[in-house]
Amino acid sequence: MKSFFRRCARAPMRAACLVLSLLALSVSSALAHDVTPGDAGYIQEIWGVHIIPFIYLGAKHMITGYDHILFLLGVVFFLYHMKDVAIYVTLFAVGHSVTMLLGVWFGWGINAYIIDAIIGLSVVYKALDNLGAFQKWLGFQPNTMAATLIFGLFHGTGLASKILEYQIAEDGLLANLLAFNVGVEVGQLMALFVILIVMGYWRKSPNFMRQASVANIVMVFLGVLLTYQQVAGYIASTA
Amino acid sequence: MYNAPKPKLEDLPTNRQLQRMSIIAAIGAVAIGVMVYMPAEHGVDPTGVGAVLGLTEMGEIKQQLEAEAEADRLLHGEDDSSSLIDRVFGTFVSSAYAQEAWQDEIVFTLEPGAATEIKATMGEGATLIYSWVAEGGRINFDLHAHAGGENVTYERGRGQTSGEGSFETPFAGDHGWFWRNRDDETVTVTLQLRGEYSAIVRSE
Repeated sequence: MKSFFRRCARAPMRAACLVLSLLALSVSSALAHDVTPGDAGYIQEIWGVHIIPFIYLGAKHMITGYDHILFLLGVVFFLYHMKDVAIYVTLFAVGHSVTMLLGVWFGWGINAYIIDAIIGLSVVYKALDNLGAFQKWLGFQPNTMAATLIFGLFHGTGLASKILEYQIAEDGLLANLLAFNVGVEVGQLMALFVILIVMGYWRKSPNFMRQASVANIVMVFLGVLLTYQQVAGYIASTA
Repeated sequence: MYNAPKPKLEDLPTNRQLQRMSIIAAIGAVAIGVMVYMPAEHGVDPTGVGAVLGLTEMGEIKQQLEAEAEADRLLHGEDDSSSLIDRVFGTFVSSAYAQEAWQDEIVFTLEPGAATEIKATMGEGATLIYSWVAEGGRINFDLHAHAGGENVTYERGRGQTSGEGSFETPFAGDHGWFWRNRDDETVTVTLQLRGEYSAIVRSE
């Protein structure tokens, strides 16, 4: 459109352009409004209680949110017993549920770039933890359960920021929000199921320990990359 | 293995268990893909489960919005649709001329899922005063204008049954409402207008 108007500045083109512009205007006046597509668009068109659609959206958000999945992978990487897996995943779920529900309910509008940068750092932390970096650097092992819970709180704040952007209607908000939370946990369990299958096969491989170190180093880099992207996005958004 | 107790090989799931888990995951993935994902994203529901779960409606709305956004992009060009959206929320003045007569009254009926656009052709700096009620159900609307690369959104609402107010135009063009019925019932809206406009344009 801009280049079109620039070309129209030349005199011989003006008459033709005038006709074209009028045509364009008459077409655009018959147009729809500013459309928001996708999940947000759907949410912005509905009101009232929609339990299963919000469970679906919560699960989809978790499964497609690679930052959450990456952290989850880091948490269960060296957990061999189902009991441990259950404890840590519950801690993570409690953490992110608390801040997600409170964040949306009270409208904590924390900048999405900042919170996503912290979530990126949680991946870095967990991968370094798996590599034994803190034992080497600090001389002791920071409590892994506490770390899972605390980073869970940050992940929940990130989820809350995304949900606030969806602009869920006041009508039915609490029920829909709880459904979304259930969906997040369902999505997490489905992702976990697949992770445990892959890890199950991988752990049986004789090279697992060596490959595990490489995998966690890769995870550190991915976490740094996520953090870098968010920081760069934050700088671009404020500039 | 630094931050967790060392495992024993017999603690690991057996190959048989892993195979069983893989089969469950594969069946689950196919079932979810067909019965949940396809209805919820594409509005395609071969099994009918999506409609029971209320997910097919989601997919249909998404497809409709996608088509509208694509049509919008083709007509507006990509460079001026999102960046120039200028939201004006605080320009509402409660109508001070309430006792004056309305110039126009428009009554329209929308079936569930149907949409229409009603706009007033106005110059720059013109004022429109309006009042509307919806009967039979609740309505979604987007009160806006776009002309010559400029955009303004005055107000958006969903699930509403009435509204009133006024707005002043920041640029010349057609200013007005996109209405859509997302309720389950047929909705009849009565819209009353008064102000500085030369014509009322209606498009489906």
